[in-house]
Amino acid sequence: MHSSLLEIPEQINTETQTKWKAIHMALVVEAVDLKKTYMLGKIPVEALRGVNLKVESGDFLAILGPSGSGKSTMLNLIGALDKPTAGKMLIEGVDISTLNDNQLADLRLRIGFVFQFFNLIPRLTAKDNIELSMSIANVSRAERRKRAEELLETVGLKERMDHKPAELSGGQQQRVAIARALANNPRFLLMDEPTGNIDSKTANEVIALIKRLNEKKGVTIVMVTHDQHLAREAKRIVQMFDGVISSDVVN
Amino acid sequence: MKTRDVFGYSFSAIRLRKLRAGLTTLGVVIGIAAIVALLSITQGLQNTITGELQKGLATDTLIVTVGGGALGGAQGDGGGFGGGFGGGGDSDFKLLINDTQTIMDLSPGNITATLAIIQRSGNISSTETNRTTTIVGVDFAEYKRIYSSTFVAESGEIPDTPENDTVVIGKRVTDPRLNGTTLFSAGDTVTIVWANSSVRPPKIENYTARVAAVLEEVGGFGFGGPSDTSIYIPTIQAQGFFDTDQCDTIVVKLVNSDESTINYVTEKIEKSEEFAGEVSVISSTAVVELLQSIISLVSLFLVGIAAISLLVAGIGIMNIMIVSLIERTREIGILKALGMKSRTVLLIFLSESVIIGVIGGAIGIGLGWVLANVVAVLFSGGGPFGGVGGGQGAGAGAAMNITPVLTPVVILGAFGFGIGVSVIFALYPAWRASKLKPVEALRYE
Repeated sequence: MHSSLLEIPEQINTETQTKWKAIHMALVVEAVDLKKTYMLGKIPVEALRGVNLKVESGDFLAILGPSGSGKSTMLNLIGALDKPTAGKMLIEGVDISTLNDNQLADLRLRIGFVFQFFNLIPRLTAKDNIELSMSIANVSRAERRKRAEELLETVGLKERMDHKPAELSGGQQQRVAIARALANNPRFLLMDEPTGNIDSKTANEVIALIKRLNEKKGVTIVMVTHDQHLAREAKRIVQMFDGVISSDVVN
Repeated sequence: MKTRDVFGYSFSAIRLRKLRAGLTTLGVVIGIAAIVALLSITQGLQNTITGELQKGLATDTLIVTVGGGALGGAQGDGGGFGGGFGGGGDSDFKLLINDTQTIMDLSPGNITATLAIIQRSGNISSTETNRTTTIVGVDFAEYKRIYSSTFVAESGEIPDTPENDTVVIGKRVTDPRLNGTTLFSAGDTVTIVWANSSVRPPKIENYTARVAAVLEEVGGFGFGGPSDTSIYIPTIQAQGFFDTDQCDTIVVKLVNSDESTINYVTEKIEKSEEFAGEVSVISSTAVVELLQSIISLVSLFLVGIAAISLLVAGIGIMNIMIVSLIERTREIGILKALGMKSRTVLLIFLSESVIIGVIGGAIGIGLGWVLANVVAVLFSGGGPFGGVGGGQGAGAGAAMNITPVLTPVVILGAFGFGIGVSVIFALYPAWRASKLKPVEALRYE
């Protein structure tokens, strides 16, 4: 469906291609000397100053850091929402700098975003929100309906599927958002402070769900947070500080 | 994203802001309704006028009058209509009764008959009543032949070889309001009066005549042919009564109504040595065409004004779309993060305007049609047009029955125009929405 993601440089011969695939397909995200400079008015701000990072399939990674450390910028780049100033951001081996707008959009179909503020469409029901992301991917109506219900069951909200976001608690909204992120079978979930906007009790439900997805279903998760407590749940913790990775440890 | 899903999504966005979308749509409704109403009324008006004209016209006839100008004033009594055109001229040229033969000789192969018409304003009176009218002197037999469908007796009989004191009267002379009044009827003895102002002092001439027939109603505009407000006397009698050997109009009947024949004879007469550019020739077809083109022009002008209102509606759409775009910046960011292409974002915004255009267009066409019918009823009720007739004589112009006409072309055109305007004005906001950067759009509060 998204052949661009599987493209391998043509000059490589078949034998090497197989190896290349074996190495790179397992690598979901790879940042190579990644740099990003913003212009804040007329002042250049170096948000990323040479980041190297690899995320393998099945990983559960937490990127931890105080505000201003560059973790949000990192999130935007991993999510193919933005392009780096220098260096490479490879998603499944594809350098996002080489992609045009349409290709980036197609790439984002394969990334499951979960936002701090849920970002559900308020006028749509839980089920319709999940279906929306599938309709963007041209999934047929019948299949959308079936899959949306399955996903809501997975996140434990099947009986709430006809509720609008305003009628759901923060934790429930975030679970709907996670279901939506999973709808198009993404290569990885990319989460931005997934519990940052919900109370600690329901946050635990969300954390449990995330862990279960990773452990039971093998979903690769990249989570950006400044919450130490949440980061501790991950398999691997990457600390960022001042635009570089200051530590990268297996939990 | 599939088209159906795009529309479904847009529709959910519109439904959320019903009042706003409703008001925006109202702009389109008003514009389209105005265009449709005006077009169907003018089309109906055109049909009515053309129909009325053709009733009193024979398409295979030409009308020759004095004057080099454009439209000569054929028979000045056409419900006050014909009287308005040029006529006269400054030269001393006179059209004579026996010029009919001259014309006949110009192109005998193409002309089957020629007829001189002499006419004056005058009065017809009985012991009970006295009415102003137009006295027309014609050869009854020829006139009957040329205007076989309109110079027809409703009561009495039109003789081919009339007595000198025979008179045939138009329907509205005896029944001015067409309400069943009978001021004169066949067999009555009447007095015909004419004031000869060419002598000093003006002299009142009169003679006693006998009504042979009352004509059937001709319709609003008798042009060249018989009119409801005139009376008809034999040529010989008119010549003597008006003391003249001149005529006002010569009607030329052609072998057919082909354009080539009409043009050939017209040119032959206008360029002939005998008339040396002193006469003008009008074909009935030309009159109808001229009127039609005038109506078309007026209609175009009116529709142009209506189109401006639609343009205003378009600006309304643009305005509301920009507001909506700003409000929905974050939503656009979400959609893009979910993998929606810029092109699809563009389509979502455009499809919202298409929905507004379609709904506005459909309601507008319906409303326009209702408006057109309401206006038509007001017109037909003897309203504004009832008074136009006036003119000379008894002619109070007919109240016109306008039947609004809504052609498929108008429906499709108005519909297309409505949607077109909506889409064009949505292009800019939609384009801006599609160009939003996902990172910035997501950060937007």
